[in-house]
Amino acid sequence: MAKPKKAAAVTSSRRNVPHSGRSSIMALNGDDEDFEWEPPSEADMKVIQARRERQDKISKLMGDYLLKGYRMLGECCDTCGTILLQDRQQKNYCVSCQELDSDVDKDNPALNAQAALSQVRERQLASQSPAPPQTPDAPATATASVPQPRPEHCEGAAAGGRAVLPPAPVPSVPALSTPPSAPVLAPTRPTVIPQSTALRPVLQDAEEAILTKLRWATNQLQTSVSLETSVQLCSLISSCATSLRALRELAQ
Amino acid sequence: MTQKKPRLQDTEEVYCFDRFDPCYYCGGKAMESVGLERVVQTVGVLQAVVLRAFGPHGGQVLFTRDTGHLMLSRDGVRVLNALRLDHPLARMIVECATGHSALTGDGSKSFILLLASLVQTVEDAARMEKCAPHSLARELLSFSLQQLDPLIASAILPHSEHIIWTDLSAASSSPVQKLLSGFFHTRLSHAHCNSVSDLLCQFLSHWTAEVDQSCSCLQFIDDTWPALYTPVIGFPISYSRLLEGQIIHRDFAVPYSQTTAQPVKAIVVTTPLQPKFMETGLALETGDKGSFVHFSSFWESSVECVVSYLQSIGVSLLLSSVKQTDAVLGLATNSQINVVECVEQEELTLFMHLSEATAVTDFWDIQAKHVVSLDFCKPVLLGAHRYIHVAFPAKAPVRPCSLVVCGTGEGQSEQHASAMRDAIKMLKTTWEPPSSAPPPNTSCTPPPDHYCPRGCVLTSGGAFEILLSLALQHSPISKRAHVVPRILADALLCLPRHIYSHQPRRFAQMQYTVLQCVQERLTSPAHLQSNMNLKCCAWGLGLESVFCKYQLVLAVLQCFSQLLTLDSVIHTKSRLKTMENISCQEEDED
Repeated sequence: MAKPKKAAAVTSSRRNVPHSGRSSIMALNGDDEDFEWEPPSEADMKVIQARRERQDKISKLMGDYLLKGYRMLGECCDTCGTILLQDRQQKNYCVSCQELDSDVDKDNPALNAQAALSQVRERQLASQSPAPPQTPDAPATATASVPQPRPEHCEGAAAGGRAVLPPAPVPSVPALSTPPSAPVLAPTRPTVIPQSTALRPVLQDAEEAILTKLRWATNQLQTSVSLETSVQLCSLISSCATSLRALRELAQ
Repeated sequence: MTQKKPRLQDTEEVYCFDRFDPCYYCGGKAMESVGLERVVQTVGVLQAVVLRAFGPHGGQVLFTRDTGHLMLSRDGVRVLNALRLDHPLARMIVECATGHSALTGDGSKSFILLLASLVQTVEDAARMEKCAPHSLARELLSFSLQQLDPLIASAILPHSEHIIWTDLSAASSSPVQKLLSGFFHTRLSHAHCNSVSDLLCQFLSHWTAEVDQSCSCLQFIDDTWPALYTPVIGFPISYSRLLEGQIIHRDFAVPYSQTTAQPVKAIVVTTPLQPKFMETGLALETGDKGSFVHFSSFWESSVECVVSYLQSIGVSLLLSSVKQTDAVLGLATNSQINVVECVEQEELTLFMHLSEATAVTDFWDIQAKHVVSLDFCKPVLLGAHRYIHVAFPAKAPVRPCSLVVCGTGEGQSEQHASAMRDAIKMLKTTWEPPSSAPPPNTSCTPPPDHYCPRGCVLTSGGAFEILLSLALQHSPISKRAHVVPRILADALLCLPRHIYSHQPRRFAQMQYTVLQCVQERLTSPAHLQSNMNLKCCAWGLGLESVFCKYQLVLAVLQCFSQLLTLDSVIHTKSRLKTMENISCQEEDED
């Protein structure tokens, strides 16, 4: 008998639910048709815990802003669903989108080095036979796999503040063309050296993009009159400088 | 809770009669659904706001206005009401918290923290046990209304003690003083808690001397509070003191003339002595041409007659709720009658109550009942203002007195005064749990005296929560693997954890002490009185009211069930017609 699809999303491994607990719970839960339901697994609990910690951070930040005089609106952000705040200048502000790292972007290999490395390892684990060389196609696939920078969904003085991210993990995709007979669990170190030649133009492009954004932010800062805008532009400049430093370290 | 739906699709009018319905507070655009996640987020934000000011070690929140006005406060109601909240759920939660605080005098921050903990515990339980959160909320509420009373009677009351009215006049270590001290620890700085609670004890002992009238006296003090205290700016709170008699917050309208006659005779008037017949816009009809002059002279001489009559019967103080004309003031000055104008209605009512005076309505018929005797009447300088100090002849056992509440800033003295008023409300609720109509939208009835007798107090610092949590975990219902008592037991422990967040070891010590007392009671039931309060008072902990804590748990569960039974929030384009708005509109039309 096929497992009901709605239960499959929750379970990854079977667990024993105490029978006495279930019998008392049935009274609370109206539909008892789903006998295949199982409580969340450990992996699910980790995700839940991470989301709760993130939510606590968001709440703390929002509490700070409320005490600073921001207004808590009755509307929610279209992107993340967080309650919107409004400052004294009537500008809407989403704490989650504009201050915290995205919950989803950390899993996106194009935007996060760790996610890219884990994706590379997964592919190495999955591929047992050597793959045909794809070097000419790799940059194309690499560029095709890079999504557009996430657009700004929320108004605020930090427009464009999070649009620039170093595409450092992208060069790891062409690493598939490197010796496929390398051990599956080998560290990524052997793949670094052959990457340097393919890496340089990408790094240069990234550096140029960051410098462009840095110049733009500097110009905005010179003409800015609002305190909030200036603070956010300064944080953008510092994050650009950090990214530049990371790119230069990668180039060495 | 039923959801009110708009009558027509595009109508501007949505009738909402329930002030706990978020429709009461709406304004915005589309319709949105209310899920547990939204509630978690909203409550989490409010928790983050109040957490920093919670508990005896909590900090103060500094509010600044654009005008430069500063306000330092630890009062949860002030902090929550100062926030700019447009979100309907947040406003509903704040309304519930302030409503609870208005009844018990305290507990707004505890309300928010307990609600946040409950929401998270229910979220976890719903996820682990695959229950609908709203059904869990309903079960929690019905459990609290049916099962909580016996639990409190069996688990909490044996460890509590009863305070009696005569403790007010006892030494500074009396239970009433400890109860007030525990209260003030969450509102004022530690250095002043004991002195302020001593002062308030003295104040209450002056006003209330008979045990069987204690609650009515507390109610009277609460009702007339604005007339019973005087805020003084520029001095630290330790300069606060009691003054015999009453302080009238006005200065003399004429230069003070000290009277040597004893006792001082006074009358109260509520209308002008010289009615204004000749005002711009008024038409005065007289009999013939010459009679206007006669009328004018009659009018002036009549006032002279009244003032000279007052002088002849020895009246030296005239208290007026309205402004008197310059002619009256001049005549009074010549007759050495001190006049006080524009006295607040509450102060005048208190004066008439304490002196048993009757206000003069007809100046041609001033009788003996209108004239009252006072011990003295003199100006008094309090801070930067000069007020009038009157004292009444001694009538045992009540000795009326007035509080002078000092504060370094304007907002500080008002906050100290409101903290004292809230303490009085808390005492009133402790001594006589309200047996009035049940709160709206519930079918609960107030607990009978059997489960919460008068004056029941327990050591503060989380003892109530730990005791109740233990009782819930070990109750027979819990042993049948019912999830509801475990949810409540887990949620309750958040309060002591937050209290001891700076001293985790103290939380463990508290739990150990409570467990020890519970086990002692189980092993030797001959002990009629638990010594938990004695053990904990060595740590400097005060006392708290059992009934107020019980009300807190009920109020949080009620609010929580209302939050989770909401299906959707309807945003309207124009102002909603609520019962209050409809009555205001009807008044405007009239």
